[in-house]
Amino acid sequence: MNTVIIINLNGNAFHLEEPGYQSLRAYLERAQSQLQENPDKTEIMADLEQAIADKCAHFLRPHKNVVSASEIEQVLGQMGPVETDGAQSPESSAAKEQPRAQPLDWDAPRRLYQIREGAMLSGVCTGIAAYFNIDVTMVRILFVVLALLTGGIWVLVYIAMMLVIPFANTDEERAAAAGAPFNAQEVIDRAKKHYGEFKNSKEWRRHWRQQRREWRRRWHDGAYWWAHNVQQNVHQFSAHSGYGAQLVAGLLIPFLAILSAVVFCLWIVAIVQLATSGAIFGWAIPASMPLWVSILILIFLYSAVSQPLRHARRAFYFNTGGYNYSWFAALDGLLALGVLALVCWFSYTHLPQVHDFFQHFNENWQTMWNNIVDSFRRTGVAIGLNRIAESV
Amino acid sequence: MTANQRFNPIRKGLLEFLILQIISADKVYVAEMMSRLQDTDFATQEGTLYPLLSKMRREELVDYEWQESDSGPPRKYYKLTAKGKSQLSEFKDYWDYLNTTINQLGR
Repeated sequence: MNTVIIINLNGNAFHLEEPGYQSLRAYLERAQSQLQENPDKTEIMADLEQAIADKCAHFLRPHKNVVSASEIEQVLGQMGPVETDGAQSPESSAAKEQPRAQPLDWDAPRRLYQIREGAMLSGVCTGIAAYFNIDVTMVRILFVVLALLTGGIWVLVYIAMMLVIPFANTDEERAAAAGAPFNAQEVIDRAKKHYGEFKNSKEWRRHWRQQRREWRRRWHDGAYWWAHNVQQNVHQFSAHSGYGAQLVAGLLIPFLAILSAVVFCLWIVAIVQLATSGAIFGWAIPASMPLWVSILILIFLYSAVSQPLRHARRAFYFNTGGYNYSWFAALDGLLALGVLALVCWFSYTHLPQVHDFFQHFNENWQTMWNNIVDSFRRTGVAIGLNRIAESV
Repeated sequence: MTANQRFNPIRKGLLEFLILQIISADKVYVAEMMSRLQDTDFATQEGTLYPLLSKMRREELVDYEWQESDSGPPRKYYKLTAKGKSQLSEFKDYWDYLNTTINQLGR
């Protein structure tokens, strides 16, 4: 919960979170002092306010009428510092250079961007490397390892990042990608050094096609290997097992069915909680992690838990049912569905939260959806260095 | 392009003439100017552009008129004044002159 302050931007009323209001005020005050000697000061200030108002309006929707602090940081980052042409006399320009060399009084915003300079594909890895200030090769190795470990699912994540993370186009954005203040010329220069080398789009497309083929191959191989290996192993186990083991397996089937149903329920509840309140069973996710990333993580976790369960259940049908295994499978499926229905019915009638949720399903769905879409938009948002340090 | 730090003052000085050039074709508003400059080496932000435009208006190079937009508040559409037009063509001539001078000096 945050205090909300209503402000007037060139005749438009906006609700701002308190920290956002503070940084906006700091920005406008600095602009005012920069324009001190400018005869058009009032007009420029009105233009700036109108531009900020337009940008803020993009963040508002029918069910969201407050501009959050992080959104304000984003807007101010887009606006850029107010500069005037201070080329009147040598002394005055020298005097102006002095305060500019000092660090700005608000934290240099650090944002996640894709950086095309030095990129292999799209610039996701270079952007992440700049964001965490680590070597880009480390990020690439990490990504390849993740792609292999997750059987290619990480590739989907990578594609999602490619589509979602904005490109750093201006000097300021490139500087912000590494968290440097706008006026740190070296950082800007380093980021711009190879700018334009990557303009050969034909080359890029060829590279991209090649990469896609490679990913598809890996994806197939990975899925095939997994399905085969696990099922075969469980099979071998059952082939050598005696009557007692078969009995145990038979008893295990309903247990596993119930377990799968329960895991599924917990997963759904976790996602709903995460999307509505940003916390799972009372545990809040770190503020630096966007909502959509945590939902992806949940999906991976679920598949990591449910896949082995499913394979185990399948293997047990063979083991117990022999030729009639399909009957066992059908029964087992029915059992799982039954447990699921039971859990749903029980929670709907006995848990007021669940009851409420379904009573206002449409609104709840809307808020969840808005939250997720928002988190996508905000991924490029300023996160202070200290906040990252806290969460690591 | 190699954007050497040493060229920063040049880029900064040229921005004004690039804006004259953008406006010369048709009247435009600020967001449009920024999107035109977006992919060039001259990408800029409102914080720089508004003060610059006001300076150019004081020097009577550009003028603006309010125009209703379909979405949102009325916008300021900037256009060239007669003085701005002559300034732009003067600049282009001077640019050509600079180019030839630089190329010829090397020989």
